[in-house]
Amino acid sequence: MKPMTETTPVVEMRNIRKSFAAVQALRGVDLVLNHGEVLGLVGDNAAGKSTLMKVLSGAYIPDEGQILIEGKNAHLTDPLHARRLGIEMVYQDLALSNNLDVTANVFLGREAVSLKLGPFGVLDGRYMEKEAQRLLDRLKIDIPSVRLMVERLSGGQRQAVAIARAMAFNSKVIIMDEPTAALSVAAISKVLDLVRELKAQGASIIIISHRLEDIYSVSDRLMVMRNGRKVRDAVIADNIDDFRERVVAYMVGARDDFAVTAAG
Amino acid sequence: MSIKDLIKAQQHNIREYGMYIAFLVIVIFFTITTKGLFVSSRNIGNLVNAMSYIAVLAVGMTLVIVIRHIDLSVGYLAGTLGAIAAIAIKYWLLPLGVTIPLVLALGILAGLLTAFLVAQMKIPAFVATLAGWLGYRGALQLATRSTGTIIIENDIFNALGNGFIPDIPDIGILPGVHKVTLLLGILGIILFILGEINNRKKTQAYHFEVLTMNMFIVKLIFVSAVIAGITWVLAGYQGLSWAAVILLIVVLLYSYITSRTVIGRHIYAVGGNPEAAELNGISVKKITFLVFGSMGLLTALSGILYASWLRSATTIAGAGMEFDAIAAAFVGGVAVAGGVGKVTGSIIGALVMASLTNGMNLLGWDISIQYIVRALVLAGAVIFDVQTRRGAK
Repeated sequence: MKPMTETTPVVEMRNIRKSFAAVQALRGVDLVLNHGEVLGLVGDNAAGKSTLMKVLSGAYIPDEGQILIEGKNAHLTDPLHARRLGIEMVYQDLALSNNLDVTANVFLGREAVSLKLGPFGVLDGRYMEKEAQRLLDRLKIDIPSVRLMVERLSGGQRQAVAIARAMAFNSKVIIMDEPTAALSVAAISKVLDLVRELKAQGASIIIISHRLEDIYSVSDRLMVMRNGRKVRDAVIADNIDDFRERVVAYMVGARDDFAVTAAG
Repeated sequence: MSIKDLIKAQQHNIREYGMYIAFLVIVIFFTITTKGLFVSSRNIGNLVNAMSYIAVLAVGMTLVIVIRHIDLSVGYLAGTLGAIAAIAIKYWLLPLGVTIPLVLALGILAGLLTAFLVAQMKIPAFVATLAGWLGYRGALQLATRSTGTIIIENDIFNALGNGFIPDIPDIGILPGVHKVTLLLGILGIILFILGEINNRKKTQAYHFEVLTMNMFIVKLIFVSAVIAGITWVLAGYQGLSWAAVILLIVVLLYSYITSRTVIGRHIYAVGGNPEAAELNGISVKKITFLVFGSMGLLTALSGILYASWLRSATTIAGAGMEFDAIAAAFVGGVAVAGGVGKVTGSIIGALVMASLTNGMNLLGWDISIQYIVRALVLAGAVIFDVQTRRGAK
């Protein structure tokens, strides 16, 4: 029984199972994300972390299990549905249109319209530009102009635009898939600053990364997956060296906090 | 925003300016070498009529290439639809009010068929439209087999490609000048200036940067002078042709849709990154149907303009038109990889290619040399495009 004082988690996934043909990608995974929390999600390749996040973002429909968004049962049917419920995914390959400017990317698929002429909605360019600039300012993202084409931005700036877009529409949960992969050291630190800024502004974030030091530096809690199961779920408290050693032990299967449950 | 950033933000416009400059160079070259014949009212009037059906195709082709496809079938489809228009008028005795909507509807249908093959059956557009090229070639021969060339004797239909807008009767002022054309030109300039001022005011109200006042005035004067010049030249012959009016409407409509509406934004989003578009709730399939449907509509319009211009439907009408349209789009700055390219650019591209042909004809250059010159211009334009794009990165 939960104590009455505990607030409802923003996301709760219970006993999620998902198979692809004979492969059991997820074997009954539980996940809890609290309001204003950054949850790090790690695991070796094929541990199931990306599959789990695709279930949460509506890209995959689980075979079994339950998803609660702010305590309410949700049957996510597709990514747009998940997005309407406030779950935003920042994809590893960014999902930006290089040929459009920053504003157009922030509002892609959700353009503001000033006038509706039959099937033609007329873009409200000035409003969107103003809002995009305000968003970047609020998140302290340093891009010279929202009129810049995305193809002219650096990798770190693009990642920032992708993350800003996820924040643009009052989302409840932001899932980031390897936000610091393929970035320079300076850009990584900027992206991590951005994650802290989002958290400070009240966002709830799940961050998948292979870079344990990044997870360590921004996350409140860590969840480790292995072979489609959760093997560790705990608040980050160690120093970085102990943390790394311990996490690796869970990732390679030397330790497992949930072994008994899983066997049963 | 620093000067450097400003230049960076403007970099994509530099390609466009380059094209306008190239066009200007071509015009000046032919004006000098033909001793002014090239810019004579009569020649410019003919040039516009002779390019209009290609330009209309180029507008549609621009969007097709922007969403990373191609359409090889439009030439013979235009020919076939022109033949259907001729048959409808001459043998079915249908009134124009039925014939033209019918042909336009058939064009849309043909475009949707291509879209079905591309978006639904997942056949590469090159192959699907190559099949269309063969099929419509056969259809055109079938339609004209028993009759051969069909002469169209409907004056109103023929006016679309040859006729000029009516003028007010001569009242003593400006004899020999087409006054309605002049008035339309003046109206165009007034609307342009008011629109620019209004736009500038609104943009300033949002505290965004705008051109400096001096640059703004220079821009207004320059564009007004260009409109005034073209108007004056056209007014000196028989005025604005119906083909030019139709082309103008198509260009204004498509520029507006592509640059100012949600659908236009989504077309470019699909061209830039289809996966990203899909993830953001934009249906790539829907956009593909829309773009090929519009291509079909414009192909029908082009077929009507061409048949009207020739006053007949021939057994080989439309042959090679697809390549002229594709070349116009590429010369006009449409990127081969998709996602980039403006409707206005493709019109300039069509103008460049038509001016070359026209100018070289006036100079009496050999046709084989003409092909080679056009080849060099096409390759040169795309090389310039690729280089500036790379330089901008």
